[in-house]
Amino acid sequence: MMAFGHRLGNNSGMFVLALMLVFMPVLAGATVDTRQALRTGLARFALDSGNPAEALRHTRALSTEEALLVRARALMATGNNKDARDLLEQLAGGQYYRGDASLLLADLVVADGEDGGEESRRHLEVATELAHGETRQQALYRMAELHREAGHTDRAGRVLASIEPGYWAALGYMNMAADFGRRDLNPSRALVALRVALAMSEKDTDSRRGQELRSRLLVRAGHLAHKHEDYDKAISFLEKVPLESYSTPQGLYLHGLALSAKGNHRAAMQSWHRARKYPLAYPGVANAWLGTGRGYDLSGYLGQAGEAYLAASASFETERVTLRKLADQIRNKGAYRALVMDARDSSAEWFLADSRTLTQPRTAYLLRFMEQRRAQEAVNRVADLEQLGQQMAQHEDSLSVFRNAILERMGPVDERMVGRERYEEEIEALTERISALRSRVTSPAQQQSLRGAASTLSDLKTSLRKLDQRLASKNQRLTELLARTDRALERVRGARDRAARLQAEAEAALDEIALAFVKAQDDRMTFALDRTEQRIAHLYEYLALQNIERGDP
Amino acid sequence: MIAGAHVTEPVGRRFRVAVATVTAVFTALILPVGQAAIADTLDEEIDRLKADVADLGQTLYELEEDVLHPADTQVAVFLTLRDREGLELDTVELYLNDAPVASHLYTERELASLKKGGVQRLYIGNLPHGTHQLKAILTARSANERFVRREVTHDFRKRPGQSRLQMTLDARAPDYEPVVSFQEWK
Repeated sequence: MMAFGHRLGNNSGMFVLALMLVFMPVLAGATVDTRQALRTGLARFALDSGNPAEALRHTRALSTEEALLVRARALMATGNNKDARDLLEQLAGGQYYRGDASLLLADLVVADGEDGGEESRRHLEVATELAHGETRQQALYRMAELHREAGHTDRAGRVLASIEPGYWAALGYMNMAADFGRRDLNPSRALVALRVALAMSEKDTDSRRGQELRSRLLVRAGHLAHKHEDYDKAISFLEKVPLESYSTPQGLYLHGLALSAKGNHRAAMQSWHRARKYPLAYPGVANAWLGTGRGYDLSGYLGQAGEAYLAASASFETERVTLRKLADQIRNKGAYRALVMDARDSSAEWFLADSRTLTQPRTAYLLRFMEQRRAQEAVNRVADLEQLGQQMAQHEDSLSVFRNAILERMGPVDERMVGRERYEEEIEALTERISALRSRVTSPAQQQSLRGAASTLSDLKTSLRKLDQRLASKNQRLTELLARTDRALERVRGARDRAARLQAEAEAALDEIALAFVKAQDDRMTFALDRTEQRIAHLYEYLALQNIERGDP
Repeated sequence: MIAGAHVTEPVGRRFRVAVATVTAVFTALILPVGQAAIADTLDEEIDRLKADVADLGQTLYELEEDVLHPADTQVAVFLTLRDREGLELDTVELYLNDAPVASHLYTERELASLKKGGVQRLYIGNLPHGTHQLKAILTARSANERFVRREVTHDFRKRPGQSRLQMTLDARAPDYEPVVSFQEWK
């Protein structure tokens, strides 16, 4: 603005002043808008990177709808559902984010456990009408689930028909297929739903998530087809299960089962042999061990069948020892350390991590354990509290450093450092040198460079003038900072103690769930072991009878 | 009294056994509900703690700003994306006057956030008044599957008061050539 004024000349001073007065509110408004946009962007990044507390800090004084939505999400992430609800209700009556706010309100109603179905349905209806993109797809999926859970499959189907292809549509059709599979005697409706779900999952924008869901869908479809003795269809589904997914072992087992049912025992045993490479924790692996023996048996290789059953028995025994050790570790170290943290630790190189993840027994048990909703919640609780504890410990360290730094700065000021006159003289001398140079420079770059140096000297002069005033208030300011640091330190220690106490409670609850899980796994192994022993007994009995019939001793 | 005691003792024992049985059955029935209630209480306490910690975070931030970054010498550098599909950012390294001050390796979540309009504060620190040079080295994958590494520099003058530098990354079709622009705010 000043440069513009100079160009118009002194006679136009009044005109420039008038222009400034006219545009000043607009310029000020633009600055405020830019700051709000910056703070909103910072809050969004903080929230998306898992730091909701920072997001709350950035949105504290913001009033745009976008900022309020980020704030509401951050409030929900920090457990302050009441304030979040107030903001979301405000946004639900607003202009731009009514759909997003309504979906979040539906989440809050369910989380607070006060849902009779009607309130969340009301919010979801608004969300399906007004939201866009992923939010709308999610709202439609949730609406379809409400209908499905109430037994109105036809209504759920109509809602699903309006969802765009992708993850949410695939989930919806998968759940519909599960319902049809339970209710219908004929699998055709369930299989059609699963085929639709498969087609929908291909459009998932998150390729890894889509692939994992696709594996599950294929295994479900294969299982359903096998159950209804359509083995060719089962094989065609199961052949498509990718080799690097959680569902692969189960898929391989079912693939073998379908092949075996068609009389192709050799190919069946190949599938089971591949399934046996996976840890016994995965669904289908224990059955694959048993299936191998059965396959040899049905193929007429009774000697190999006996060996396969003995190998299965040994493997189940070893697994029971592993499970006993895991239970001991859970009792000694706690489930969070023994099951969750230890599964992460590995001497394998990081670039091999993906390929080895599925074959680690500890990871396998962790994945199986985490299938349960209660387990997920219990692990999340401990993880959250541990993170809070670590955060508090870091804050405590930082505050101790601040405290020492403030105490060091509280001493008397070194007179040699202050020597204000000396600096003023130096600035004056430099200013004179710049003035002398001004007449000699010719190029615009040199002129700009001199202008920059003069501007910096002017800034330094201003700072120097303020120095006395700042030095006079130094100790008072530092004392105030010290008091604030001490108060903060006290609050941090209090929060750290609370986090530690709650973590102990959360860990005890997790240990209980984990031990029950390990016990259930041990029971599963015992059952598999019993079945193996029965098979061996039958086999030996048959061999003995054959020997008697042949007249062998 | 003695006769009464003879009568009441078995009755009392039977009553205690009955109470114990009913309690055991009742406990067995309500145990899952009880566990859920304990979990709910724990969740409520954790939520309260999280809210308190978030509030404490604000206090600590203000304190940290006052102790570490006096407003007069403060400089902050922010990163934003303009074209949201043209570039998959991998890393950013930041140098001030040739000294490395920040580096960041992006996760998918962070990248998605930047694409949705998120702003990342790459650096905050203190600089004396005068001229300084900011250098940024970016590595990224462009929409046409090219791996790119770009080095950009920006000269700026630190004036009294807070200085904010916004670094905006853009890569537009058809060549998706990364372009970095700088904007200074007071």
